[in-house]
Amino acid sequence: MKPKVAFFDFTSCEGCQLNKLNLENDLLDILKHVDIVEFREAMDDKADHYDIAFIEGSISSPSCVERIHDIRRRSSFLVALGACAVSGGVNAMKNLHPIDQVRETVYGDDKYLFATLPAMAVSAVVKVDYEVRGCPMTQQDFLKLLIALVLGKQPQKYNSPVCVECKLKENECLYNRGMVCLGPITRGGCDAICPSFGQFCTGCRGILDNPNLSGMLDLMTNHGISLDEAKKRMLLFNANEVQL
Amino acid sequence: MECFSLLRSDVPAFIDHLGGFGEVVAPHSKGEVSYTFEVVKDSSQVILDYNRTLLPLKKMFLPPVETMLNFSLKDASFTPVEIEISPRLFFGVHSYEMQSILRLDHSMLSGKVESNYFRRRQSSRFVGISFHPDEFHFSESVGITIEEMEGFDLFLNEIEGDFQVYVLSKNGAALLKGFEYIESTNPEVIEGRSFKKKIRYHYNRLPRVFQYAYNSPIWAEVASRCVGCGACTLTCPTCFCFDVNDEVTVTAEDGMRQRSWDSCMLAAFAEVAGGENFREKTSNRTRHRLFRKFKYITDEEGLPWCVGCGRCTAFCPAGISLPDIVNELIGEDEKAQLPRSVRV
Repeated sequence: MKPKVAFFDFTSCEGCQLNKLNLENDLLDILKHVDIVEFREAMDDKADHYDIAFIEGSISSPSCVERIHDIRRRSSFLVALGACAVSGGVNAMKNLHPIDQVRETVYGDDKYLFATLPAMAVSAVVKVDYEVRGCPMTQQDFLKLLIALVLGKQPQKYNSPVCVECKLKENECLYNRGMVCLGPITRGGCDAICPSFGQFCTGCRGILDNPNLSGMLDLMTNHGISLDEAKKRMLLFNANEVQL
Repeated sequence: MECFSLLRSDVPAFIDHLGGFGEVVAPHSKGEVSYTFEVVKDSSQVILDYNRTLLPLKKMFLPPVETMLNFSLKDASFTPVEIEISPRLFFGVHSYEMQSILRLDHSMLSGKVESNYFRRRQSSRFVGISFHPDEFHFSESVGITIEEMEGFDLFLNEIEGDFQVYVLSKNGAALLKGFEYIESTNPEVIEGRSFKKKIRYHYNRLPRVFQYAYNSPIWAEVASRCVGCGACTLTCPTCFCFDVNDEVTVTAEDGMRQRSWDSCMLAAFAEVAGGENFREKTSNRTRHRLFRKFKYITDEEGLPWCVGCGRCTAFCPAGISLPDIVNELIGEDEKAQLPRSVRV
């Protein structure tokens, strides 16, 4: 029997799910391996049990907490999909400000009508078995994880910086073009797609394990940006991951 | 040794002539300020004055990512990828780059031969060129001069803008055959090209310095600036470590085994099953990198396994300089030899 797969969205732009529907060349192959049983963006059906539940988005309200617990109870494997689900992503920037101020900015006088929590990674609330990083994750990365799970293998984990893939592609370093790039401390696996097209890395796949943050801040300020700006760049996607 | 003069304006015609031998690979511009070795399509695009390419010439013999074999999960079978050999000529290669290939030859061809490397290395010719050292080159300190011609078939030595072509092998003489725009001349010594960056000691004293440097505080100091991106080792012309990965296609029926360059500066490099890591700290890894260049292999082979191209320093975003680390170790070593009373 094929594994039953479902997709769910929490606080996010839903882009990570949507780009599954863009896998036109591979969709038929994917459907040979799995049954998609719940996917709000693509179908109406619902199911009681999931072999693999893909979760997009961060957990940022009491109702999110309730829902994710329910999904976890009914899933064999739970995979966090994309930066928001893995670490809180850009949503976690709100955690850098007092929560009352954040609510007032967004909802004004009606702020008391909307309960909110700090934006959290899915793994802060329930057990997450695997993760696919990135904003959005690359489709290749998602397919690799899916195929590994279908074959019963441990999916590959990335703990090498973006610079590795960038160097192997023989890209000119963006620091040599006067840009400030987060590649040296950002988890790779994205095939260095941004630097390859001349865009500096913003750290969407998260910071490496045991990063040298003070060294990185020195490096960035030595290349001409202020300490404040350097910290902001680092926090953009990783407010929950780094303490500055 | 035969020597001919060659006008700079005749070099594109010379490259076209060399194309008769096979595919010509030469330095080209890349990005805004960088260079790369590429197959020549238009000889007028070849760059004769360059400091260093982003990736070393090594990439032509040990590709950054290489498919070793294709496999099928259905019937558990595999077929190795056959490498096609075509004659290749490498034009505009600097002396340190050639020396790095000779060192790789030693690493790959002594003992059990690395067959893919051997096939790619066969029927290759090298045409060297002199260079003007910038603030990062320090090859003289590791025993490689600008005019070191070992390994080359021809060598172009720049003199007042034009070139003197040295014929260094029978293959080199054969390459020149039929090319008309050269005239016989006498080799001249060219002055005024000196290295700005230097290691203070002769390289044969370095293994001894390193012998006592294992517990130096310098490693931790360097590690505090290092962000661990791996640029130094991934651009190094004598590094040869690789990782092997199996990629399964989306059909889940077949796939391929790939080998890609790895780096001992990456945290995952020395991680083993169970999550143990025997070079856990950046300082351990920095030390290992330099010991690989000046101690471990040098003890066995008598040559530093660094060729002084300056890539690790030029491409380090944190500005960490390999010759500066070596000079600091030398300074510390000298201090340690002073009487205890004058050590501060």
